[in-house]
Amino acid sequence: MTCKEFQEVLPDIIDGGQTVEQESHWKACRECSDLASELTLVSQQAKILRGGDEPSPRVWNSIEIALRAEGLIRQPAAAFTLVPSPAPRWRMGWLVPLTATFLLTLGVVDYYLASKPADQVAVVQPASSTKPVDDDDAQMLEAVSMKTPAMRAAYEANLQDVNAYIRDAEASARNNPADEEAQESLMEAYSQKNMVYEMAFDRSLR
Amino acid sequence: MATARKLQGGELSEAEAIERAKQGDADAFQTLYNLHKRRVYSLCLRMTANTAEAEDLTQEAFLQLFRKIGTFRGESAFSTWLHRMSVNVVLMRLRKKNLPVVPLDDPLETEEETTKKEPGAADPLLTGSVDRLRIQRAVESLPPGYRTIFVLHDVEGYEHNEIAELVGCSIGNSKSQLHKARMKLRDILKTSRAEKAKTP
Amino acid sequence: MKTINRRSVKLALIVVVSAGATLVAGETKKEFRFTVRPGSTVSIVNPYGPISLKPAVGNQVLVTVTLHSDKVEVSHEQSGKRVELRSQLLPGADQTSGIAEYAVFIPSTTNVNLHANTGPLRVEKLHGDVIVEAVSALVEVRDINNVHVHIKTMNGPITLSNIHQGHVEVTSISGDVNLNSVSGPLVQVNSSSGKIRYDGDFGAGGDYSLTSHTGDIDAVAPAEAPIDVTAQTVRGKVDSDFDLEAKRIVPRDDNNKSSFLGKAWSLVKLRSFSGKIHLRKR
Repeated sequence: MTCKEFQEVLPDIIDGGQTVEQESHWKACRECSDLASELTLVSQQAKILRGGDEPSPRVWNSIEIALRAEGLIRQPAAAFTLVPSPAPRWRMGWLVPLTATFLLTLGVVDYYLASKPADQVAVVQPASSTKPVDDDDAQMLEAVSMKTPAMRAAYEANLQDVNAYIRDAEASARNNPADEEAQESLMEAYSQKNMVYEMAFDRSLR
Repeated sequence: MATARKLQGGELSEAEAIERAKQGDADAFQTLYNLHKRRVYSLCLRMTANTAEAEDLTQEAFLQLFRKIGTFRGESAFSTWLHRMSVNVVLMRLRKKNLPVVPLDDPLETEEETTKKEPGAADPLLTGSVDRLRIQRAVESLPPGYRTIFVLHDVEGYEHNEIAELVGCSIGNSKSQLHKARMKLRDILKTSRAEKAKTP
Repeated sequence: MKTINRRSVKLALIVVVSAGATLVAGETKKEFRFTVRPGSTVSIVNPYGPISLKPAVGNQVLVTVTLHSDKVEVSHEQSGKRVELRSQLLPGADQTSGIAEYAVFIPSTTNVNLHANTGPLRVEKLHGDVIVEAVSALVEVRDINNVHVHIKTMNGPITLSNIHQGHVEVTSISGDVNLNSVSGPLVQVNSSSGKIRYDGDFGAGGDYSLTSHTGDIDAVAPAEAPIDVTAQTVRGKVDSDFDLEAKRIVPRDDNNKSSFLGKAWSLVKLRSFSGKIHLRKR
């Protein structure tokens, strides 16, 4: 067996067994023997890299926030917590009546606006003066008030924005169930709401 | 819904944690995370050589797993399921960055070059144990494609047929890239050992 | 000996007064140095106050923090390749007394991770990944190549300038997003009500996606830019100088990117639910 032939099958030798011919070359050839030993060492030592590092606490924090926002964590009703479980209202089934109500309201508003001259159309009030859509958002805003009161107005305004985005995206997805873009928009809207909750509960900014 | 109770004298077992996580128990999710976070994070870190990205990927892998936990039926080990998911998450990220997951060829290197010996004094043999930090740095300095195969096979213990399926290459390609990765690491470790020996 | 002592005391007093002259009463300045390896990450959590990051030569991270009151402290930790600095708000701190100003000089290959409420946050001329999460902070990132730039704000305006060959992902709920000369394999901007403005060449055969809910999208590109544009809106309006209808038939290479006359085409997707989309030729 030549050195070239031996080195061609070296990966199989290191990972598995070797034939009599290969073993005999290993013993006879110093250069191939050194190479094989070194590569075996590299392969074996690699295992010390397994599972040795730990992510920062921020990673679990972010995961937990996302799980709560998506409704995968569901707290018992009796337990008091500052961190709400918003998800049941986020699932499509729950939002059918909400979306229907919204669309009906939208239709009425559209009809009203269309029938009025432009200068008589009332200016829509800023988002901050409107109540949040649900109790989970209210609880989140309450948590923000306790943690960073100066930021509450910003959170409330942006929550209104993303909730409006979700409503529009859900309506669009419902009207066009086969439209991938509509589904993408819906996921993006949810992702933005998730981001608001994530920032609100980011313990690192306390 | 009953509140999850911990076992007397200890935490939830993995099987219990899985069942309770399916019910939405926060403690159960955290138990599963704590059981596997080091393995997943290390894998992501070895493959990306970037701590911020590794943390992002760890988060993504666990989220994907937890979203699907309702479908886990216990046919395979939970850790295997999680591990595969983590590998896929990392590989998708590497593909997204247009980084070669597996280099099909390396125009800078041939088989002859990898076994070339420098003239002059004999090369000292690489022996003994290699400290963790040195090998970690060496792996981080590998080109991304080599690093992927090396981490999957030698660090994480995947077989070549599994690697081929994961990264989308042939078994032969996986083997040859692993060999090249080991050769490169050997050279890096020998160089760093030689430099260390020179340092007073 | 007495003369020397008096002179020393006078000199010391002058130095102290000069140093203190730049600080307002109640402010204190702290300085930290860390030696880091290539590819390290510097993480700063600062609820209130600006953070500025610039490159430095060598392998040291130099951080100067000006604390506006005794209601805020800085904690720091270095572990492996991670350096973490955190402004700790003490009881009674608010968004004025809790301000800490960070001026940071880091080796250019260092990755950066910033978390803040108010900012502003400024990062320039680095070769490491830049990840920023801010609530209302103004964020400016400039002159960065070949790395990940991930920015998230709730309503803080974001300006990216001269960012190339990397992956750019920006999300802002209501902050305006301005991209000046930004190109790369992936440029993705998501906004709800904030405006998105792009002025560049959509180059590098990348995937560009600018998406908003109600915010307008304004994009300017060279007339001959090799771009394959789609613009979609549900209730808004599309106004484009580029032909959105023409179909381009070119072979696609292994990386699933089209090429035409040797130039890689970029895929540009502009999507707004009810905002206006303007795409203009320069």
